[in-house]
Amino acid sequence: MEKKPIIEFKDFSFKYKIQSKATLRDINLTIYEGEKVLILGPSGCGKSTLMSCINGLIPFSNEGEITGSCKVNGRETRTLSIFELSKEVGTVLQDSDAQFVGLSVGEDIAFSMENEMVPRKEMIPEVEKLAGTVGMEDFIKALPFDLSGGQKQKVALAGVISDKVNILMFDEPLAALDPKMGVATIELIDRVSQDKTKTVLIIEHRLEDVLYRPVDRIILMGEGRIVADTTPIELLNSNLLKESGVREPLYLTAMKYAGCDISANKTICDIENLELSDDDKEKLIAFFHEETPEIKKEPGEEVIRLDDVTFAYEHGKPVVKGLDTVIRKGERVAVVGKNGAGKSTMAKLITGIHRPNKGHIYIDGKDYKKSTVKEIGEEVGYVMQMPNQMIVKDLIKDEVELALRLRNISEEEITERAAEAMKACGLYSMRKWPVDSVSYGQKKRVTVASIMALGPDTIILDEPTAGQDYRHYTDIIKFINKLNSEYGKTIIFITHDMHLAIENTDRAIVFADGKIIADESVYSVLSNDEIIEKANLKQTSLYMLAKKLDLSPEKFIEHFIRYERMVKSGE
Amino acid sequence: MLKKFVGEWNTKTIVAVAIGAALYGVLMVWGSIPVFTNTNLTSAMIVPVVVGALFGPLPATVALLVGNCLADLIGGWGFWFDWSVGNGVLGLFVGLLPLYGADIKNGIFKVKHAVIYTICCLLGNAIAFGIVTPVMTSLFYSADLEITFLQSFAGGISNTAVLVVIGIPVLVLLSKRYASRANLVEEPEELTEE
Amino acid sequence: MNNRFLINYTPGSTFLHKLNGTTKVIGFIAITIAIIATFDFRIMLAIFLLCMAGVASMRPNWKPIAFMFGFLIVMNGIIGSLMVIVISPESGLTKTGMETVFWSTANGRFYLSWELLWYTWAMFFKRVASLSSAMLFVLSITPSELAAGLNSIKMPYKVCTIVSLAFRTIPDIARDFTDIKNSMMMRGVELEKASLSKKLKQYIIMLVPLLMSSFAKVENISNSMDLRSYGKCKGRTWYSEHPATKGDYIARGGIVLIFLWCAFYIIFFRNMHAPLVDFWCPWVPQEISGYWF
Ligand SMILES: Nc1ncnc2c1ncn2[C@@H]1O[C@H](COP(=O)(O)OP(=O)(O)OP(=O)(O)O)[C@@H](O)[C@H]1O
Ligand SMILES: Nc1ncnc2c1ncn2[C@@H]1O[C@H](COP(=O)(O)OP(=O)(O)OP(=O)(O)O)[C@@H](O)[C@H]1O
Ligand SMILES: [Mg+2]
Ligand SMILES: [Mg+2]
Repeated sequence: MEKKPIIEFKDFSFKYKIQSKATLRDINLTIYEGEKVLILGPSGCGKSTLMSCINGLIPFSNEGEITGSCKVNGRETRTLSIFELSKEVGTVLQDSDAQFVGLSVGEDIAFSMENEMVPRKEMIPEVEKLAGTVGMEDFIKALPFDLSGGQKQKVALAGVISDKVNILMFDEPLAALDPKMGVATIELIDRVSQDKTKTVLIIEHRLEDVLYRPVDRIILMGEGRIVADTTPIELLNSNLLKESGVREPLYLTAMKYAGCDISANKTICDIENLELSDDDKEKLIAFFHEETPEIKKEPGEEVIRLDDVTFAYEHGKPVVKGLDTVIRKGERVAVVGKNGAGKSTMAKLITGIHRPNKGHIYIDGKDYKKSTVKEIGEEVGYVMQMPNQMIVKDLIKDEVELALRLRNISEEEITERAAEAMKACGLYSMRKWPVDSVSYGQKKRVTVASIMALGPDTIILDEPTAGQDYRHYTDIIKFINKLNSEYGKTIIFITHDMHLAIENTDRAIVFADGKIIADESVYSVLSNDEIIEKANLKQTSLYMLAKKLDLSPEKFIEHFIRYERMVKSGE
Repeated sequence: MLKKFVGEWNTKTIVAVAIGAALYGVLMVWGSIPVFTNTNLTSAMIVPVVVGALFGPLPATVALLVGNCLADLIGGWGFWFDWSVGNGVLGLFVGLLPLYGADIKNGIFKVKHAVIYTICCLLGNAIAFGIVTPVMTSLFYSADLEITFLQSFAGGISNTAVLVVIGIPVLVLLSKRYASRANLVEEPEELTEE
Repeated sequence: MNNRFLINYTPGSTFLHKLNGTTKVIGFIAITIAIIATFDFRIMLAIFLLCMAGVASMRPNWKPIAFMFGFLIVMNGIIGSLMVIVISPESGLTKTGMETVFWSTANGRFYLSWELLWYTWAMFFKRVASLSSAMLFVLSITPSELAAGLNSIKMPYKVCTIVSLAFRTIPDIARDFTDIKNSMMMRGVELEKASLSKKLKQYIIMLVPLLMSSFAKVENISNSMDLRSYGKCKGRTWYSEHPATKGDYIARGGIVLIFLWCAFYIIFFRNMHAPLVDFWCPWVPQEISGYWF
């Protein structure tokens, strides 16, 4: 059968009006009808921009210079209105907060139907059906302000599937979702793409999660260009991932550590169907029995203690209930769990933004009741989940320096500390840029940098790596780990990223529905089916690999972490 | 000219007007100090300045009109059309910025423009609260003219104060912000450090 | 979020709540016209009682309502009336047609008459009636119904979406403000233990990032609307506008009666037999006031 090209870029370049260099350069790309394509690449390389070119936002709403041609369904996008294009293309934008324009979940899902003048009678059952598809049927009347980031993302998804469009584009659909929802979303997208008239484009940094369901092609971008246009197998077998800063799946790393030959393996893309040769198995088991140094850390004195903390936004509906935990100096703790379980709320309680309705919070052994947010802020720094919530200044540099300036630090030291933080976050070269002309991932890094420059004793990072590519991810984490190991700072990661939790923390606090359901080492959490189920977590691919080898998953994961830390510290 | 006056009513403008109206409502309810009956010293007055500067007089007017009704709705203090309409008229004058060449989006806001802007604010207040509102108040509520003028006068003064004292610095800031938004280049890291 | 404002984002369940947007909007217009048309205390009292009965039927949270009325009493009832009494005591005569002075200063510059008191009371009461009607409207409607209702009385739908979008963003703006405040506090701005003037200054400083962050959203929101065909057709349907029910037809019957009454009142009592003075006053005889009853 002849494949029908549906999106065609020819020598395409685009430069934003206010930029001096082109953001997209010499793009040559053809996507065929019915394909499912994954777009990978470092943050800020132009993935979202590429999508804007396809859905018509460029040139409709973003001014700039276009050269070359971009055709959707055989027609030049420049000559089409955005409405004509919206019949062909449906997009879930990166910022799920801004996409929510309705006053309730139902209204938002119905938004495009309203604009198409679909009668209300037809709209109601359709909205119900769509809400059901994404698991939001109990929330149809819910207000946007009462939803967690993940829930909003689901609504955005429902809004797009409703379109009877042929090209669906998802800009980092997993960024705010808990692992189980992530899996469900990938399954959902996969179900949509089963329909062979639908073309699906996904931008995502979480390669391992996307590959949970097969994709036809992967397009790797770098600095505005297309670096590679290949199949998953080829990509995983090549060195391209490492070179362009995309993280490879954990099970592959383990196999590489064990010295398995993966180039011959055709089943390498998907852990579920992965077939291991006897040789591979032997090597992996040998790897498992290698000696690794034990990770031991002396617990320091206690810095934060939560004592039976309960809090409700609305009277009678507690969001967190009876939280009890102790965090010690120099620890690195992961807070994981379901969307909307109350993780960010706990962070806001610790920083004094909200105060417990019941119970006490002690910081350095003192009940913080009488301290102001500012005073608490000197001990505990908090990088909020949504970057827009934090940014108050116009230029990146000013934003990072803001807190330092408020603390009577000498000008030299301010510059030095801000520079160090900005370099760690890969922002130094654009320090004079306005904050609103950088990509989402870059904004997130601005907020991380502003707290890291300040360097309080305890740092809470809410989803620090959401929307980050592996290179920036590594740089940020390295810097944070340095703060931890050299200066003894206590670090709390709130995260949906199990890689992050496994590799960089010693302990996991697991949340489900407002309660702490587990508080133990990361590997025992991730090999406990009950906890995984309750907290919407997901077994890592290491767990499945261990199962295939009939090894104890807990021990295998632990071994892997130790091994990896050994390798990394040897670097 | 007419186009500058009406503004471009695309989705962006609609959203901007809506956000302007919302801001106006919020600031009116939570960001004001009452100085007189029906009169506030309010930070909300900054809204028509920004909307006018970026989108033109008519959007500024609509933002103010809707914003006023909104403030009445969330504050729940009843609908006082006399003041809403007066405010709308004021918004029109405040938002005239693009018509006399103050092009904030391209970083143009000079002393000349600040002077014209101040005059417009004075004129707008004079017409809105010297004529429109008093006439409507005495018509709707049969209030005493003298008192209505007095009230309006207080309103006019406090508005003008906010418009000039906070408005001009904000305009300068905005225009600088937009001026800096051109030809962004990555600056390499200095090699002296590390 | 719901109880922070007077207006409700989620529909309630009483009879008035369940009416559809169109009914609520035209009902409010009818009552407003009736209030504007008259200076007759008896009619204003009737409207006030009607509206408050409606408000009570919705079983609202009375606290903010009491506060609003309290505010009105202080601002318009006390200060406003005092101003009239001090500045133009003669308005008792001009507005009602009579003057029965019962107290005056030696030079006669300041004085009180019963008619002056009645006039300030009636004028104040007009505002009270006006507030009660607004209260009725605000408490019964949700922003989405408001937008749909306005559209159904031929308001261009773009204006209606401005209204509903504005309501959509108000809580966001309030939240942004809290976030900006928190983010500043966490990074070293003291607001809780600061003096009032310092606080005020900080709040004005925070206005700029608030403006920036609010208007920075414009692009994202409008993009997401454009991508979902906003502005494509000449009209728009409304998810939240449920079709009229029996209750609506009953209410609309009442509203039609109010309209008819307004038309009759305006034509007959304010034009053909217009009174000689604005305000009806119980003891002013008909020959002087021109009021029929
Ligand atoms: N509206 C804009 N105006 C000017 N420059 C922009 C604009 N949006 C993006 N850019 C620039 O274009 C580059 C690519 O941005 P884009 O949002 O496409 O990145 P991305 O690959 O999607 O990154 P991320 O993974 O972080 O979302 C960035 O360096 C950014 O500075
Ligand atoms: N400002 C608020 N007002 C009312 N309810 C809120 C508010 N913020 C959060 N909630 C509710 O509290 C619950 C917990 O929210 P929280 O943001 O703490 O979840 P989370 O665990 O951080 O989720 P996610 O992983 O999606 O970020 C959610 O059900 C949310 O709807
Ligand atoms: Mg992007
Ligand atoms: Mg959260």
